[in-house]
Amino acid sequence: MLRFRHQMQPRKLKVTPGANPQARINKLREIVTGLIRYERVEPLWYFADEARQYAERLLYLAIKNGDKHKETMELADYWLEEKDLVHKLFKVLVPRYKNYKTCYTDLHKLAVEYPGSGIPMGVLELRGNPWPPIIARQRDTKFILSNMLLTAAKQDFYNTKQQLKSDAATKRQQLIEKSDDMHTIRRTDDSSSVDPPAKTENLMMDR
Amino acid sequence: MGFKGLFESGQGFTMTDVEGKLVPERGRMDVEGAFTHVSSSQVNVAYKSTHVINYKRTRAEIGQALRKKPNYLHYDLVDKHRSSPLQKGTDNITVETDVKAPRDYRFIMPEFMPRPHFEYRDRVLEKLERRDMLRRRTVINIPEFYVGSIMAVTVSDPFAPNKKNRFLGICIDRGGHGLKAYFVLRNVVDGLGVEIFYQMYSPTLHSIEVIRLEKRLDDRLYYLRNCPLEHSTFSFDMEPIALPRGAQVPVNTLKLKLNPKPWDERWERQDLKGIEPIELTPKMIKGIQKVHNASATPWKKHDLMLHYRSKVNEEEEETIMAEVYKENQLLESMRKTSKATLKKKK
Amino acid sequence: MASTFQNLRHSCLKSMSHNRIHKCIRMFSSQSLTNTDVRKKRIELFDKEKERQVGLVTRVEKIEVKHVGIPEDCTLIMNKYLSTPFNCAMHMQELLMTRSALALVNGQPWDMHRPLETDCEIKFLHFEEEDPRIVNNAFWRTCSFVLGHVLETAFQDKFYIELCSFPSPNVSSGSFVYDADLKLGDWKPSKTELNCLSRIGLRLNFADLKFQRLDVPVSVAQDMFSDNRFKRAQIPAIASKSKSGSTVTMYRMGDHIDISAGPMIANTSQIGRYSITAIHDIESPSFGKLSRVQGLALPTQIMLHSWTYDTILRPRAAKLNPGPLPDLKAPETHIQQQLPSH
Repeated sequence: MLRFRHQMQPRKLKVTPGANPQARINKLREIVTGLIRYERVEPLWYFADEARQYAERLLYLAIKNGDKHKETMELADYWLEEKDLVHKLFKVLVPRYKNYKTCYTDLHKLAVEYPGSGIPMGVLELRGNPWPPIIARQRDTKFILSNMLLTAAKQDFYNTKQQLKSDAATKRQQLIEKSDDMHTIRRTDDSSSVDPPAKTENLMMDR
Repeated sequence: MGFKGLFESGQGFTMTDVEGKLVPERGRMDVEGAFTHVSSSQVNVAYKSTHVINYKRTRAEIGQALRKKPNYLHYDLVDKHRSSPLQKGTDNITVETDVKAPRDYRFIMPEFMPRPHFEYRDRVLEKLERRDMLRRRTVINIPEFYVGSIMAVTVSDPFAPNKKNRFLGICIDRGGHGLKAYFVLRNVVDGLGVEIFYQMYSPTLHSIEVIRLEKRLDDRLYYLRNCPLEHSTFSFDMEPIALPRGAQVPVNTLKLKLNPKPWDERWERQDLKGIEPIELTPKMIKGIQKVHNASATPWKKHDLMLHYRSKVNEEEEETIMAEVYKENQLLESMRKTSKATLKKKK
Repeated sequence: MASTFQNLRHSCLKSMSHNRIHKCIRMFSSQSLTNTDVRKKRIELFDKEKERQVGLVTRVEKIEVKHVGIPEDCTLIMNKYLSTPFNCAMHMQELLMTRSALALVNGQPWDMHRPLETDCEIKFLHFEEEDPRIVNNAFWRTCSFVLGHVLETAFQDKFYIELCSFPSPNVSSGSFVYDADLKLGDWKPSKTELNCLSRIGLRLNFADLKFQRLDVPVSVAQDMFSDNRFKRAQIPAIASKSKSGSTVTMYRMGDHIDISAGPMIANTSQIGRYSITAIHDIESPSFGKLSRVQGLALPTQIMLHSWTYDTILRPRAAKLNPGPLPDLKAPETHIQQQLPSH
């Protein structure tokens, strides 16, 4: 199952004018091979987005089936044009992504150059690659005074809310217990209401 | 104390009687005192062996447990327990925590799988349909069957004398997803081939029986239409043949000879395994090449995303099947207990 | 009569120590103690002690100070026991002068206006650092310190305010605290009155007063706080906990002096928002009835929407702060002289 947002329909990539599906697949193979080789490639964004799906799928099958599965091996052989990469796929990448709960690749859209074709470029990379990160590390603002005060205020608000809830629950419980007591009292009243005729008879006797 | 004056101007739950597994208690055996040393030890073993608590008790079981109990044990019962294999002692039942459906489960009940077309997927609808299907399965027993099995179906028919209609035939097709699951039965009545299309979860269905459980070499047997009628003729009085427990479903490797043309479909093009080889004419060969021209689309074999999009993915399949398996297990246990209670009433 | 009193006073002055003069004045003056007089006395003593300590440095020695961080790493030659981190900042950039609240000298927090003692490596800290917790605590401590100033100066001279102490800074509690004996009876401050008090603290932003640190011998500290029964009682414990065992660390801001282990921020212009939110009555085990004055402040460097400040932070700061109560018997739980937590 692909673990990222992807287009439902496959794209018809215009590789060359009048190109057929085979040309499309060839182009994607090229990108996937490059991705496995260099761990970071920079194709057109549309190509990268399409190639990403194939790369993810290949990695998923490699992890799931291992290197003793004939079909998977055939697929790896087809998609990786350079054969040393098949070894890399099963010996390097499979152990790396074995315990991943997320997708294995990242895709970034680059800014459109002006003047230029106006077609956005993308950066497709394998996760856990050795290159410096594309997105700069964000400064942690957790300990800035105002944020510390607000976090504490939030926690305080939540605690008071929980307290109110538990108080209401205990109150309700008390009310239920009270009503149960009332019920038993009423029952005793009923039994006593049967008695009065006898009492009146006694009274009559007395008279 | 006034404000102005304050500031300066500038500043401011015993287990012995549960579900018929009555076992004498220790104290009771001592009173009888007729037992030899050996037998008493047996009793001890039994005492240990039944020390398993059933937490999921049905309403009938609870009623049984709560009813007034006699102060003695019936000799029949005591004898029964002496001869019971339980006396040998058994291990405690291990409870399975993580339920996983067996791999072939999806072939027994393929209709639980949703449609693979992602454009038409509706996960809420699928879930509701699955629930409705399981509810229908509590009323009617839908057995395991495959294409090629011989089945008998009873349907309510307002025009029949007893308001029921029973049809027996070979299953030639099975398909559909969810509540729209269907199967097609074929037989020959008065020398005429009859095929009936049944909606599997239709409320008009009274019962579905499997007469002979087997598979054929193909997934669809529509070619029986163009085969001699004897191959699709089955007696309506066929007795059901039960498979031994745990046996695999047999595959009928019968190869049929097709009638001469004309045919309903171009069978030669369909890569069928259940028919004898056909004498091919040049025209036929041309047609086959037209359909099975793998060299035209060689990329299709390796298009990972094409494969991915044409199937419900593995992880989702597993979760759905686990859910169905769990529900079905519950359903079966319920059915068993209800049968047991019925027997007791008799 | 007046002339005889004057004479007596003069004779006393000649024979008595400075401390005793004040006691004498207290004895003979018809009016009781006032905060103004007490403050004046403390300043005099502070200045005198400072003069004495500066006089001890007879020869100007040079030290090497390595600076790490923006604008660039560099080495400065500074004066031993004279130059402060602030002086180092003056050699580099104005931003460092205005923004730095604290300096890290050999990894230890150091006040901006405390003279450097040895060759060292220096780093300047501000409020929007990656992990500004040291600075935050210093800021919170400073705010408590300033709160003492506000209390001492806000009321007329006929009300003698005795400051007790403030607990170690805890930003997550939502407010900083100063426990004091206000001696104002059942006075409950209204909103306007609290605003008036806040204003005093706010105005310090423009005053741009620096925080000076001075280690003072116990005897001098005793003299300075002879008029404050709480401080007087606490001084021996505080002194015993100090490094040398006989000094007390004092801080001075303008004309306000208080005991605190520090560190504190550089100056008052770094206090952007300052509000006093509530005054609660508390019962201290060893000092009896006291008032817990609470406030809320933000540094100039940190911007916060007024809605957030007024509707979220302010009401929370008005709730009674759960900080430990001033107690002499258990000084571990209530340490006024507290080393900065990292």
